[in-house]
Amino acid sequence: MNPKEEKVKIITEEFDENDEDAGVGGQKKTSKMARQKRKKPVCGAGDPEMVSENPHLGNQPEPLQEDSDTRPLSMTTRRGPRSLPPIPSASRTGFAEFSMRERMREKLQAARSKAESTLLQEIPTPRPRRLQSPGEKELETEFGAEPGEEAQKTQQEDDSQSRSRVKFRDSVRKIKTKPPVPPGFPSAEEAYNFFTFNFDPEPEESEEKPKAKNRDGTTQEEEEGEEEEPPVQGIHKTDEQLLISATEAEAFLWGLDHAAADFVAVRPADYESAHVRLQMEKELLFVPSRLAVPTYKKLPENVQPRYLEDEGLYIGTRPDVPRTCQNIMENRLLTQEPGRRWFGDDGRIVALPNPIKPFPSRPPVLTQEQDFRAELETLYKKAVKYVHRSQHMIGSGDSPGNFQLDIDISGLIFTHHPCFSREHVLAAKLAQLYDQYLARHQRNKAKFLTDKLQALRNAVQTGLNPEKTHKSLDTTQKTINEYKSEIRQTRKLRDAEQEKDRMLLKTIIKVWKEMKSLREFQRFTNTPLKLVLRKEKVDQKADEEAYEAEIQAEISELLEEHMEEHEQKMEAYRAAYQQWKAWKKAQRAKKKKKKQAVEEHPEEEMGEPYPEEDPVKPVPPEPTDRALMEHQVRERAARSRRRPGEPLLVPELSLAGSVTPNEQCPRVEVLRREDVKRRSIYLKVIFNDKEVSRTDSRPLGADFRVHFGQIFNLQIFNWPESLTLQVYETVGHSGTTLLAQVFLPIPETTIVTGRAPIEEVEFSSNQHVTLDHEGVGSGMPFSFEADGSNQLILMTSGKVSNSVAWAIGENGIPLIPPLSQQNIGFRSALKRADAISSIGTSGLTDLKKLAKWAAESKLDPNDPNNAPLMQLISVATSGESYVPDFFRLEQLQQEFNFVSDEELNRSKRFRLLCLRSQEVPEFRNYKQIPAYDREIMEKVFQDYEKRLRDRNVIETKDHIDPHRAMVAKYLQQVRESVINRFLIAKHHFLLSDLIVEEEVPSISILGLSLFKLAEQKRPLRPRRKGRKKVAAQNLSDGDIKVLVNIIRAYDIPVRKPTASKFQQPSRSSRTFSEKHAASPTTHSPTHSADYPLSQVLVRPFVEVSFQRTICHTTTAEGPNPSWNEELELPFRAPNGDYSTSSLQSVKDDVFINIFDEVLYDVLEDDRERGSGIHTRIERHWLGCVKIPFSTIYFQAKIDGTFKIDIPPVLLGYSKERSMIIERGFDSVRSLSEGSYITLFITMEPQLVPGESVREKELVARYVSLIPFLPDTVSFAGICDLWSTSDQFLDLLAGDEEEHAVLLCNYFLSLGKKAWLVMGSAIPEGPTAYVLTREQSHYLIWNPCSGHFYGQFDTFCPLKSVGCLIGPDNIWFNIQRHDSPLRINFDVTKPKLWKPFFSRSLLYPGLSSVQPEELIYQRTDKAAAAELQDRIEKILKEKIMDWRPRHLTRWNRYCTSALRHFLPLLERSRGEDVEDDHRGELLKQLGDYRFSGFPLHMPYSELKPLIEAVYSTGVHNIDVPNVEFALAVYIHPYPKNVLSVWIYVASLIRNR
Amino acid sequence: MAEVHVIGQIMGATGFSESSLFCKWGIHTGAAWKLLSGVREGQTQVDTPQVGDMAYWSHPIDLHFATKGLQGWPRLHLQVWSQDSFGRCQLAGYGFCHVPSSPGTHQLDCPTWRPLGSWREQLARAFVGGGPQLLHGDAIYSGADRYRLHTAAGGTVHLELGLLLRHFDRYGVEC
Repeated sequence: MNPKEEKVKIITEEFDENDEDAGVGGQKKTSKMARQKRKKPVCGAGDPEMVSENPHLGNQPEPLQEDSDTRPLSMTTRRGPRSLPPIPSASRTGFAEFSMRERMREKLQAARSKAESTLLQEIPTPRPRRLQSPGEKELETEFGAEPGEEAQKTQQEDDSQSRSRVKFRDSVRKIKTKPPVPPGFPSAEEAYNFFTFNFDPEPEESEEKPKAKNRDGTTQEEEEGEEEEPPVQGIHKTDEQLLISATEAEAFLWGLDHAAADFVAVRPADYESAHVRLQMEKELLFVPSRLAVPTYKKLPENVQPRYLEDEGLYIGTRPDVPRTCQNIMENRLLTQEPGRRWFGDDGRIVALPNPIKPFPSRPPVLTQEQDFRAELETLYKKAVKYVHRSQHMIGSGDSPGNFQLDIDISGLIFTHHPCFSREHVLAAKLAQLYDQYLARHQRNKAKFLTDKLQALRNAVQTGLNPEKTHKSLDTTQKTINEYKSEIRQTRKLRDAEQEKDRMLLKTIIKVWKEMKSLREFQRFTNTPLKLVLRKEKVDQKADEEAYEAEIQAEISELLEEHMEEHEQKMEAYRAAYQQWKAWKKAQRAKKKKKKQAVEEHPEEEMGEPYPEEDPVKPVPPEPTDRALMEHQVRERAARSRRRPGEPLLVPELSLAGSVTPNEQCPRVEVLRREDVKRRSIYLKVIFNDKEVSRTDSRPLGADFRVHFGQIFNLQIFNWPESLTLQVYETVGHSGTTLLAQVFLPIPETTIVTGRAPIEEVEFSSNQHVTLDHEGVGSGMPFSFEADGSNQLILMTSGKVSNSVAWAIGENGIPLIPPLSQQNIGFRSALKRADAISSIGTSGLTDLKKLAKWAAESKLDPNDPNNAPLMQLISVATSGESYVPDFFRLEQLQQEFNFVSDEELNRSKRFRLLCLRSQEVPEFRNYKQIPAYDREIMEKVFQDYEKRLRDRNVIETKDHIDPHRAMVAKYLQQVRESVINRFLIAKHHFLLSDLIVEEEVPSISILGLSLFKLAEQKRPLRPRRKGRKKVAAQNLSDGDIKVLVNIIRAYDIPVRKPTASKFQQPSRSSRTFSEKHAASPTTHSPTHSADYPLSQVLVRPFVEVSFQRTICHTTTAEGPNPSWNEELELPFRAPNGDYSTSSLQSVKDDVFINIFDEVLYDVLEDDRERGSGIHTRIERHWLGCVKIPFSTIYFQAKIDGTFKIDIPPVLLGYSKERSMIIERGFDSVRSLSEGSYITLFITMEPQLVPGESVREKELVARYVSLIPFLPDTVSFAGICDLWSTSDQFLDLLAGDEEEHAVLLCNYFLSLGKKAWLVMGSAIPEGPTAYVLTREQSHYLIWNPCSGHFYGQFDTFCPLKSVGCLIGPDNIWFNIQRHDSPLRINFDVTKPKLWKPFFSRSLLYPGLSSVQPEELIYQRTDKAAAAELQDRIEKILKEKIMDWRPRHLTRWNRYCTSALRHFLPLLERSRGEDVEDDHRGELLKQLGDYRFSGFPLHMPYSELKPLIEAVYSTGVHNIDVPNVEFALAVYIHPYPKNVLSVWIYVASLIRNR
Repeated sequence: MAEVHVIGQIMGATGFSESSLFCKWGIHTGAAWKLLSGVREGQTQVDTPQVGDMAYWSHPIDLHFATKGLQGWPRLHLQVWSQDSFGRCQLAGYGFCHVPSSPGTHQLDCPTWRPLGSWREQLARAFVGGGPQLLHGDAIYSGADRYRLHTAAGGTVHLELGLLLRHFDRYGVEC
C-alpha cells in the first residue's frame, strides 16, 4: 500500500467516523473506526453540508462499472488488492448531461468548502459503513463481471476466497465474448475516480486524457474529492451495514482485536493450469504454420512463377533467412493480408538484396602488428626499481630502453710481470720487436716510398721533355717544381723508413744475442722463443748497380737543389747589393747636401736622425762542393741502407725452443716458477664506475698469458660513460691486488657484435714489487750487467685482448641507445653520419648551418640520398630565394608576438629575475625585484658585467704584486667553478636532508633522563651546557652576538722603568737545543729583584674588536691578571644575508688585544696636586690573539688558553718570569715562552654550522709565511679541497692541511721522521699539524704559525690527535686518550696505533700525488722593494686617515732607525733581539718616550696588513705632541713568499 | 613582455586502482615563453593513502614566465606512477591539461589514461607488473595522431592552480 492510498483511506475513515458520530442509533462500528477514535479526539458537530451533497454525488458511480469492463485485464486485477474506495452501486442518473469537466469543477468547489468545515463539524447523517472489508472488495470486483445492483448484492455474500479467480475468469470471458464496447461518456464519479486513484496510465477515453496528466500529482483536489466519496457510499449502503451490524457491534466491544484480520487476507497464489491457459490462448492467438506454402497460393491465379534471374536480370543476393522462418512469414502474410502484394513474381517474398556488407565498414581494431607512428609507439616495460636519474624525468623526452653491450674478453698477455725472469724480459722485448718488425714488414713503407720516388723521377723526366707535353710552359714548370719538392719530401721519408727498418733488424739481432748469452750464462732456458735469421741471396752485381745509380740520382738531385738555392741566394745577394749601392750613393749625396744645409740652417741638422741603420755590405753566397755532398750521401746510405751484395736477412721467431725442466734449474728459478704457479688473474668489468661482472680466476701460465674467452652481455640502461676492466692478481690464498685498470673505449654505434675486431689494449701498473727469487720485480731497478750498470726499471704491464660491440636484437636491430641519450661528446662520432644529429632539427631550417655542415662532412653529391640536400644547399649558397618545402610549426608566431625577442631580452626585470633564479652570486640574495623596468638601475648589472668581462683580465690594483693578483684571479675562478658545480649538487636532496626523524626514545634514553632528575640543581663545578641550535636563515641584523668571555691571562710582559736606560742586561741568545731542554733553571728570576713587589708592573686590560666594534674589559693589575668578564659584540652578516653559506664565508676576525693602561700625571704644577688629579691615560699595545669568525662559527664555542701574539720586541716591556710561582705550573709552563690568555668565545644564539730545529725552524717559518686562506672561505660550505704542494706554492694560499703537508714534506726531505697529525686544536678546530721525532722526544709544529711545542707542553694548541699520516701508512689513534700530553707517539705499537695498511691490506705501493720536485723561482728583489715602499706609503696614508682631527707627524729619524732594525728581526726570526734593539733605539732616541712594536705577517694582500695595524690602535693616541714612526720591510723568499714586517711606534718627547 | 605566474599545487589523485602513487609533472611551453624562475618539472613523493582513496601529494608548483605571445600557452603534463610492494614503479596514467588562462584560483581535474597494449601485455601487467609506456613522452601533450592508441582510463589528478597575469592588457589581451 503506497502512502497515498493510505492517506486516502484515512480520510475516508474519518468521514465514516463522522457519520457514526452523527450517531443515528445502532451504528455499526468497525474496529478500524474504534482505533481511529482512540487516536483522535472526536471532532465537533456534524456537517450538514455534506449531507446535502451526498445525493448529488451518489448517483454517479454506475458508469465506472461499465467502463471497467472495457479495461484490460491487468487493470482490474490490480485494483483488487488495492484499497479502492468502494464504488457505490448507485443508480446512474443523467451522466450524460454534464460534461465531465464541469462536474469536476463543481465537485472540487464543494469539496473544498466542505473540507474546511469538516474539521469543525461532524456529519450529522448516519453513514453506512464502508471500507475495504472483504465484502466490499468483492463488490468492487464484481462490477467487472456483472453490472447491476442485484448482482452486486449477491456477490457480496460470496466467499471472498474465490473472488479473485472468478473475477479473472469473468474478465477473460468478457474479452473473449464481448466486442470492445465503444466508449461512452463517463460519469463524473467515474471520471473522478479514474483520476484520483492510482491507475495505470492507460486511459482509453480521449476525454480523460487531459486529466490523466494530473493524476499523479497529489493535489488538494484529489484529497478533497476523495473526502466526498465515503458519504456517497454510506447512503447507498445502509442496508448492507445493517446486515453486519451485529458483528460489528461485537467488534466494537472487543476493541481492536480484529484489526489485522480486517486488512489482510491470506490468499493462495493465483494459478491457472497450463492446459486451461492454452485453451484460452488458442482462442486469442494465431499460430502460423511452419510448412512450406505451395507456390500457387502465393501467386495470382493461373500465373506461372517467373524467375528473373534466369532471364538474365541481376538480382542481388537475398538475405540469408532460414527456410522455416520464411515459411512462417509466408503463412502469416497469406492469412493476414490476402492481397499477395508481398509476394514477387517468383512466388517468394519480396526482398531487397542483402544489406549487410561482406566487410566491416568500421576501421578495424588495431592490432599490434600494424605500424604505429613513431611518436605513439609504446613499449612494454617491466616494473623496475626506481633509479634516481634526472634523465628519466619528464621532458627529457627519452626513455631508457633495452640496450646491450657485448664485451668479449679473450685473454691477457703480460709484457712485463714481477715474476718475469731476466730471460722473460728479453723474450718480451724480442717478441715486441718482432711484432713491430712484422707490422713494418707488412706495410713495407720503404718499398712504397721507393716506388713513389721512382715514379716522381719519371714524371719529372717526362715533364722536362717539352715536346711530349701539350701544356703551356708555365704550368709545366710549376708542376715540375711541385714534383721536385715532393721528391725531396719522399726521399727524406724513405731514408727515415729505411733507417728505421735497419735499426729494428739490428736491435732484434742484438736482443737475440743477449738472450742467447743469458741462457748460456744461467744454464737454463725459461722461454721457448727461438729466432732464426734466414738469409736471402741477392744478385750482387745488379744490387751494386742499383745502389750506385740510386746514390748518383740522389747526388744529382741534391746538387740541383743546391744550385737552385744558390741561385736564389745569389739573387737575394744581388738585390741587397744593389740596395746597398744605392744607399751608399744617397749617403754621399746627403753628406754633400748636409754640408750646405748646415751652413743655412744649423739647427735643423740636430732633429734629423737617419731613419734606418746603415745596411751592411752583403756577402756573396758560397757555391756548393760536390765532393762534400757525395760524401754525405754515401755516409747516409751506408747508415740506413743494406750494403750492396749483402744478403737480405729475414728474422723468424718461433716457439720451437724447449724449456729447461724444474729439476735442472737452480733453486731461485724453481722458486720463481712456483710463485708464478701460485698466481692467478681475473678481470672485473666496471661499467659506469660500477662493477657489473668479473671473469673467472685463471691461473697465470708459465708464458704469462691468461686465456679467458668470456663474453659478457651487459644489458645497459644508461648511456655508457665509462667502461673499465680491472686486472686483479691473486697470489696463493692471500688477498687480491688491483694490478691495473684498462679503459676501454665505448664502441661507436656502427660497431655491432660480429663486426667488432679483437683489439689489444695495453695497461700498466705503477706497482712496486720486489721478489726474493729470480723474478725481476716491478718498478725496481735491475740490470743485465754483472756490475749493475745500465739499470732498467720495468713496470708491470700487459695487453688485454678484447672487443666491445653493441649487441644485435632478435630482429636484427642493434641494441644501441638512441641518440638523444648520448651527450655531446658522443655526438661528434656520429656527426658525419646524420645531419640532424649534428646540427639539431632546428638546423635544418637554417640553411647556412646546413651548408656548412654539408661542406664539413664531405657529403657525396652523387648519392641519391643526398640529392635534395645537395639541391637545397646549391640554392642556398647561390643566394636565390628559396621556398621551403618543410612545414614550420608556429609559423604565425611572428604575427602574434606582443614584442620582439630583442625587447624581451632587453627587459631588465626579466634579466634580474633570471639571474636570481640561476643563483649568480651577485644576485643570489636579492629578495625582491622591482615590478617595473624603470625602477631598476642600470648599474645593478655593472658589477656582474664587469666581472664577466674581466674574467681574464688580471687586475693589479688591489694586490700590488702581479703574482698575487694572478693567484687571486685563479682562486676566484676555481672558486666559481666549484661553486657552480656544487650549486647543482645542492639541489639534490637526500632523504635525511628533508626528513628529520626524532629518535624513538629507548630505555637507555629514558634511564638517562631519570638520572637527570636526580642531578644536583646547582652543581659545585658547573659545566657549560649545550644550547639549542638556531637555523641561521631566519636571523637578521642584531640577532647574533659574539660573546667573548675573558677569564685570565698569564705572563703578561711588565713595564720596564724608563730609567734603566743604561742598564743593559745582556742575555746570551740561547741555542735551539737549549730551548726545549726542559730545564727550569734557565729561567731563574733574574730581574725580579729589581722591582719591589708592591709596584704595579703592568695594568693590562683586554680590548676585543670585531667588525670594527670595540669592547674592553676593566683594567686589572699585574702580569697574571684575572678579569672574568663577558664582552658582547654584535655581529652583522655581509649584505644582511644570514644563510649558512654566507656566514661561512665571513672573513672577519675577532681581535683580542691586550693593552697596558699607563697613567701619566699631567699636572705640571705641584701646587694643584692637592685639589685635583690630572692624569692622562695612555694605552700600550702588548699583544693580540686573532681568531677568525669562521672558527667560532664552526666550533660553536672556543674555550681554552691561547698564546698571545706578542711582538718580538716590545719597547719598554719585558717578560717577568719571577711571578710564575702560582700553582706550581712553572716546571711545565716554563717550557713554553710567551704570554697566555684564557678565553671562552661563543655565539648567541648558537648557529647551526654548515659543515676546518734551526734548519727546521727556517723551513717552518717559510711554510708559515704562506698566507692562510681557509677552504671554508674559498668554498663556503661546500667542501674541503686539498691541493698538492706545488699547487699550494703556486697559489700561495691554503689552509692548515696544505701548510702541514708542505711542512711535513720538507721535514721528510731533510731526512727527519715526520708525520702529519690530524686532530683538533684551538682555535682552529679540526686541523692538521706536523709531528717530528727528535732524538728522544717529539715536537709538534703548528704549520700556520711556524711555532713548535714539545709533546708535554701544556699550552700546545693541539688538543687531540686523531691520526698520524706518514709517507707509507696511516695510523689511527686507538689509545684511551687523545690529548698529545697523554699519548704515546710510538706508531710501531699496534695496541696504541691501528695502521691502515696492515697485513690484511697490504700497502700496494701507491705513488704519490705530489710532484717529484718543487721548482722554486727566485723572487724579484726589486719588486719586493717596490712593494715595500708602496705598502709603507699606503699605511702611512691610512694612519693619517684614521686620525682625521689630529695632525700626524712622522719622525723620520725614528723611521729610518726602525727600518734598519727590521732586517735584523727578519734574520733572527724575531727572537732574542729585544734588548740589543732597545739599547740601540734608546741611544738614538733617548729623549723620547715611545711605545711601538713590529708586526709580522705573511703577505697575501694589502687589506689584512691595514687591518692589523688598525687593530693595534696606534693611531688612537691623541697626545698633542705625539709623533709616529712606521717602517715596512719585506723579505722575499723564493717562490714569491714574502715576509712582511711593519714597525709602528709612537713617540712623545720627554720634557 | 607579459608575465604569468603559475602558483599552485598538485593536490593528489583519485580513482587509481593502484594505491602507492606518485606523479611526475612538467610544464611545456611554446617558443615564445621564457621561464624566469621556478622549476619546470618535478616529481612528487609516493603517497600511500591511509584514509580514503585519495593520494595526497600537495606538491607545490611555482613558476614565473615571461612571454612575448600567446602561442604555446603553458601546458601541464603529468605521469602518475605507482609503486608496488617491491618498490618497483610502473605507469598508472598519463595526463594533460592546459594551464588556465584566466587569472585567479582554479581547481583542475586532470583525467589520465595509459596505453593498453596487446592482451599479452595486459596479462603481463596484471601478473608481473610493468606495462606499456609511451616511447616519446611528448605525445602526452602534443596532438599527434593519438587515435591509433588504445588506452585505458586511469584515475584523476587534482590540481589547484592560481594564476597571476601581468601586462596582458597592454597587448590587447583582456583577462
